[in-house]
Amino acid sequence: MKQYFQQMPQIGRPLKDREIARSEQSVGAIREVEARVAAHVERVKHSGLSTEQINERGQMTGWQRIDYLVDEGTWCPLHTLYDPGQNEEGTTGVIDGIGKVGGRWAVVIASDNKVLAGAWIKGQAENILRVTDLAKRLHVPLIWILNCSGVKLTEQHEVYPNRRGHGTPFFRHAELNQLGVPILVGIYGTNPAGGGYHGISPTVLFAHKDCNIAVGGAGIVGGMSPKGGFDVEGAKQIIEAQQELRAKPPGTVEVHHGSTGFFKHVYETEEGVLDGIREYMRHMPAFDPGFFRVAEPKEPLYPVAEIARIVPADQGKDYSVEQVIARLVDGSEHMEFRPGYGPDMYTGLVKVDGFLLGCIANRQGFLGAGYPEYADYPGIGGKLYRQGLIKMSEFVTLCARDRIPLLWLQDTSGIDVGDDAERAELLGLGQALIYSIQQTALPMMLVVLRKGTAAAHYVLGGPTANDNNAFSLGVPTTEIQVMHGETAAVAAFARRLAKEHKAGHDLGPVVDKMNELVEQYRAHSTPDYSALRGFVDEVVRFDDLRRYAVAFAGAVHQNPTSICPHHQMLTPRVIRG
Amino acid sequence: MATEVYAPMQGKVVELLVAAGDAVEEDEPIMSIEALKMKITVVAPQDGTLSEFCVKVGQEVEGDTVLALIED
Repeated sequence: MKQYFQQMPQIGRPLKDREIARSEQSVGAIREVEARVAAHVERVKHSGLSTEQINERGQMTGWQRIDYLVDEGTWCPLHTLYDPGQNEEGTTGVIDGIGKVGGRWAVVIASDNKVLAGAWIKGQAENILRVTDLAKRLHVPLIWILNCSGVKLTEQHEVYPNRRGHGTPFFRHAELNQLGVPILVGIYGTNPAGGGYHGISPTVLFAHKDCNIAVGGAGIVGGMSPKGGFDVEGAKQIIEAQQELRAKPPGTVEVHHGSTGFFKHVYETEEGVLDGIREYMRHMPAFDPGFFRVAEPKEPLYPVAEIARIVPADQGKDYSVEQVIARLVDGSEHMEFRPGYGPDMYTGLVKVDGFLLGCIANRQGFLGAGYPEYADYPGIGGKLYRQGLIKMSEFVTLCARDRIPLLWLQDTSGIDVGDDAERAELLGLGQALIYSIQQTALPMMLVVLRKGTAAAHYVLGGPTANDNNAFSLGVPTTEIQVMHGETAAVAAFARRLAKEHKAGHDLGPVVDKMNELVEQYRAHSTPDYSALRGFVDEVVRFDDLRRYAVAFAGAVHQNPTSICPHHQMLTPRVIRG
Repeated sequence: MATEVYAPMQGKVVELLVAAGDAVEEDEPIMSIEALKMKITVVAPQDGTLSEFCVKVGQEVEGDTVLALIED
């Protein structure tokens, strides 16, 4: 298929000097957001004990373990700011992302042992479920670096029970094993109860010599005193039991390597555990990249960092999304699908690190006279119209048939509204796109380049596509909300305004509430808030977008669950005609 | 020969992005029009020299107003 893929038509053009000069103000605003996000990341990294305190105990931190394990230059962190419970610790207590280990892509998650010795805290279960789901979507090994002291007992009601509580990841581990996705776990420190199940539920267990895993830890075993209360004599017995169990906690290497054999390998050093995992990773199922590449990898013709000069911080300004695509994909090459139809959307085949991806992106600005064809008003990019929705469903369906993973670049103000739009079936076509996505069984990556608004945020490969969306990225210009704050304020208070006016009351208090709502919308749609609440899986600099796309493309082609031979693909032939 | 650049839609001219006399390339942004709460970029339809702007910043324009002339 080299006639199709080796040299595809080029997209984009160099930026002019005056475009660069004009972008300075916008770039300044973007850098401010980047600095704010970076400060949040530093705060998370410094949660709990200091690195020095952990190292003085002869231990590495979770961050250091990941740094040691992952191949240099391949780490793509995820969920760094994710903290849906807004914990006093400022983190969910786990660190995760995608990276290569021993030359192969893996999803990696580590207990943050600086924070309450890696305890289960609020929001951690949801974070872990995102990680297990990611390994499932990408179909690559999951590596756990475990060091988990179990439930934060003073918050047990927040972490222990519930349908998606801390027991759920153990079932996800079982699911991954049943799907043929291996889970390798390096075990450090004391891992009682929940920590014990995190230790036992993976596929292969790599133990540090001083670690333990157990159904119940020293605290529980020593505290089993069914008297119905405490007295001084009982307290002394607890102290005695504790001293004994601290010296020799349940579930040590002696038991779980020497007796049960649960620990397949035991290592003298912290690094040894990680070296053992890395060596195992070299033998995990993985196609050689050349098996799936359609061409030799190439860098884009233009610097990825220039995207910060193309996507304006001003949400009201348009830009060329082709210029963005040109800075993300190999050789700035593409094959556009149905270029003359549905101008609101770009759909086309691109290459990332030599792998074929489908790319779907919102166009911005004026969409041309006569579009949308069903109305007498002009079409503006960012909105979704009939032809664009039909084109996306066609493209998604073809990519599913050809097993081509998808990259979505979203910047949408919503699906067109009004009776013309209803008659043009946009409600049905939006849901038809959701149906098309759901039936693909394809992994997808989303970048919310700017606006993620209304139902369009869902239908454009949004994080709500739970069975497809592997991860969603935010950038400094991301803004996610159901509608703009001013629009919401009018919708929420218009009747109240009319009522107060009719009654002859002062409108000031209602106006104040409207402005409060606008401010609340602004504060709750920023990139950092989106990361905190998990609307996106990470906020990254524009410069890093291609790195994440390379990780996605490589990971999904490492050991896919199904294959379409290149010479049997239809999409490139449909494009060429 | 001069090519006329038309306003894509009704709106208000808010910014000129090049100066009269500048060489421009096809698809290069030359001005912004505000319409439907968005700033819509008008691009050069071809390579050439932008010889004249036919409108001023702040001017309301219709969908067929000539905005500028580009000489080959």
